[in-house]
Amino acid sequence: MTDVSGIESPMWPVIVLLAGPVLAGLLSLVIRRARVLHAVNLTTMLALGVAETVLTRRVLAEGSVTTLGTLVYVDALSDFILIIITAIGLSCSLYMWSYMDEQVARGVIAPKHLGAFFFLFHMFLFAMVAATMANSLGVQWVAVEGTTLATTFLIAFFRRRESLEAGWKYLILCSVGIALALFGVVLTYYSSVRVLGDASSALNVTELIGVADRLDPNVLKLAFLFILVGYGTKVGLVPMHTWLPDAYTEAPAPIAAMLAGVLETVAVYTLLRSKAIVDQALPSEFTGNLLLVFGFVSFMVASLFILLQHNYKRLFAYSSIEHMGLAMIGFGVGGLVGTFGGLFHLLNHALAKALAFFVAGNIHRRHDTLEIDGVRGLAKSQPVTAVATLIAAFALVGLPPFSPFVSELLVVSALSAQNFASDTMHVGRFVALTISDEMRSVGLVAVFLLFGVVLFGGMMSKIGSMVWGSPREGVARGESWTVGHVPLLVMVAALIGLGFALPEPVRMLLTRAVTVIVQR
Amino acid sequence: MSESTHLGSQLVNLCSVLLLLSCFAVVAQRRLSACVDLFALQSFFLATTAALVAFLTGHRHIYLAAALTVVVKVIVLPRILRKVIERLNVSRELVMNINIPAGLLICGGLVVVAFFITQPIIPLGYLLTRDSLAIALAIILIGFFTMIARKKAVTQMVGFLVMENGVFLGTTAAAYGMPLIVELGVFFDVLVAGLIAGIYTHRLQDAFDSVDTSELTALKE
Repeated sequence: MTDVSGIESPMWPVIVLLAGPVLAGLLSLVIRRARVLHAVNLTTMLALGVAETVLTRRVLAEGSVTTLGTLVYVDALSDFILIIITAIGLSCSLYMWSYMDEQVARGVIAPKHLGAFFFLFHMFLFAMVAATMANSLGVQWVAVEGTTLATTFLIAFFRRRESLEAGWKYLILCSVGIALALFGVVLTYYSSVRVLGDASSALNVTELIGVADRLDPNVLKLAFLFILVGYGTKVGLVPMHTWLPDAYTEAPAPIAAMLAGVLETVAVYTLLRSKAIVDQALPSEFTGNLLLVFGFVSFMVASLFILLQHNYKRLFAYSSIEHMGLAMIGFGVGGLVGTFGGLFHLLNHALAKALAFFVAGNIHRRHDTLEIDGVRGLAKSQPVTAVATLIAAFALVGLPPFSPFVSELLVVSALSAQNFASDTMHVGRFVALTISDEMRSVGLVAVFLLFGVVLFGGMMSKIGSMVWGSPREGVARGESWTVGHVPLLVMVAALIGLGFALPEPVRMLLTRAVTVIVQR
Repeated sequence: MSESTHLGSQLVNLCSVLLLLSCFAVVAQRRLSACVDLFALQSFFLATTAALVAFLTGHRHIYLAAALTVVVKVIVLPRILRKVIERLNVSRELVMNINIPAGLLICGGLVVVAFFITQPIIPLGYLLTRDSLAIALAIILIGFFTMIARKKAVTQMVGFLVMENGVFLGTTAAAYGMPLIVELGVFFDVLVAGLIAGIYTHRLQDAFDSVDTSELTALKE
């Protein structure tokens, strides 16, 4: 797996991706002027974008890149996640230009706190890049915990009572989750150090993949359970999701977009890495069925909760849980189609959800309320935002021609075509369902579609009530173009474009990423 | 089994059991400052266990981990937590989600569960530290339980740190410590988490006049 050429040839893209955010974060602490802060932020994000493009070319040409000793390992899967991080990060930076300036102008944020905001933002970014590039599962854990620590104050940034509450809840629940995941990593190490002998590299993905079939299945089973519950808390799978709606509601809009679009994706990535290893030692039904159950429960519970929401940011938060459930169903069914659909869905969800939180930020700034009932007549007060809101909602409920439709279709078709190897679907050792194969597939698809309809109704009726009608008294009409509108346009274009055609490099990257997860 | 290994294994087991007992003491303790002291004591036992394993196996890098445990978990973190408590207007936790006798019973059950879960994987372990893995899981579960049972931000933090101690005992017992870079990263994360929790209790106190997390009810469905 380790290619020698990766060590010899220059690795500047990797250095830029890791050092860029750290440098920018430290600079943000000393810079006072808002304009310079934004300039530093945007320059860094552009540099990351360029570095990521170069890295993608390398990965496509060579398969994988191992560098910085063996600390960094980038293959198609991690490169795909890095693309999501940099793309959403860049659009967030553009959006923040107008969003943060307006918050400062209104006095919501003290100008001196802006530097701290950008510092935390870049630390968050660094932790995510590190988690994605880390070769060692242990380092990956450290970085994922780092994301929790960096974001908790971002969520509580407005320092209102509710945001402090949300930030504390997030810190505590995710720390507990992640402590359980660490025990899972320890157990993985427990099994691998016995086979590999060399203690310092026994957690490296490059080493583990080679010997995974010789690891002890019982230890790995227990390890995966702990890792699933631990990182599943970060993903926001039901029933470990309770921090998520609060955090997304209280976080500033661009941060909510980062949490929903990128952090969840990174958390799913950490799960996929472990799954790829465990699947070699155990039949893939073990991890598959677990993911399937968590995916279905999240999907169904979130769909129902969407019906109950009075707050549009919470609405989008529950929609995130639902979409992560959907991606988990894809990975749980597995195979080429399911995994491809799941991965593609991660990208589509990131785009749609970032768009949704951007428009939520626009609506909130104009209407000063998060209540769905408090917002009327967006089409008249903010025409551009209204169109973007509708498109985000269409994309999130999976309507064509937007790209989530394509990935959801892939997941559903994988679900309907699946063949369970055994007659009985074991979930742990406690629940066992014995139904014929066709019945089970048809049943699962039917449940899936039923809740899809529930979701459609709930989401569209609520968004519709916000868009149509006439605005309340005292709400200004008309919308002027700002820098913050650029990411809206880009997201809409991407959602439509990816719905029709997948660019060749992305398709190749996705296909290779699938083979990383599905080895056989 | 040679006589010295046998003795060593007995000593490691003794230390692990002391760790477990200090967990029960945390669960049974109402005074906040005593909870912090007990956590410091537990971390001291942890450092002793790690040093013992390092001595008996000759794995030098575990000494470093033991030293870091003393610095971070016996000295720095308890000091931060004590500072936080000094600022508070309460010193005892009177109302809990689950009362103390019931809590102790549940924790006893958790220990049984931990031994039951680790049964199939224990025989793979090193002779020296075999049973410590089960004890480590028991400590993790009890720490988890403490976070659920208690309402004060400080005791919830102690619960989290107890969980972390359990994981650390697990690494020492199961694999004679993790790779150095991971070990250092974990210590760094725990330290920062402690600092952040300290700042939070400060802000929560200002905003709510209380660090009782049951007051945190503004966000509901």
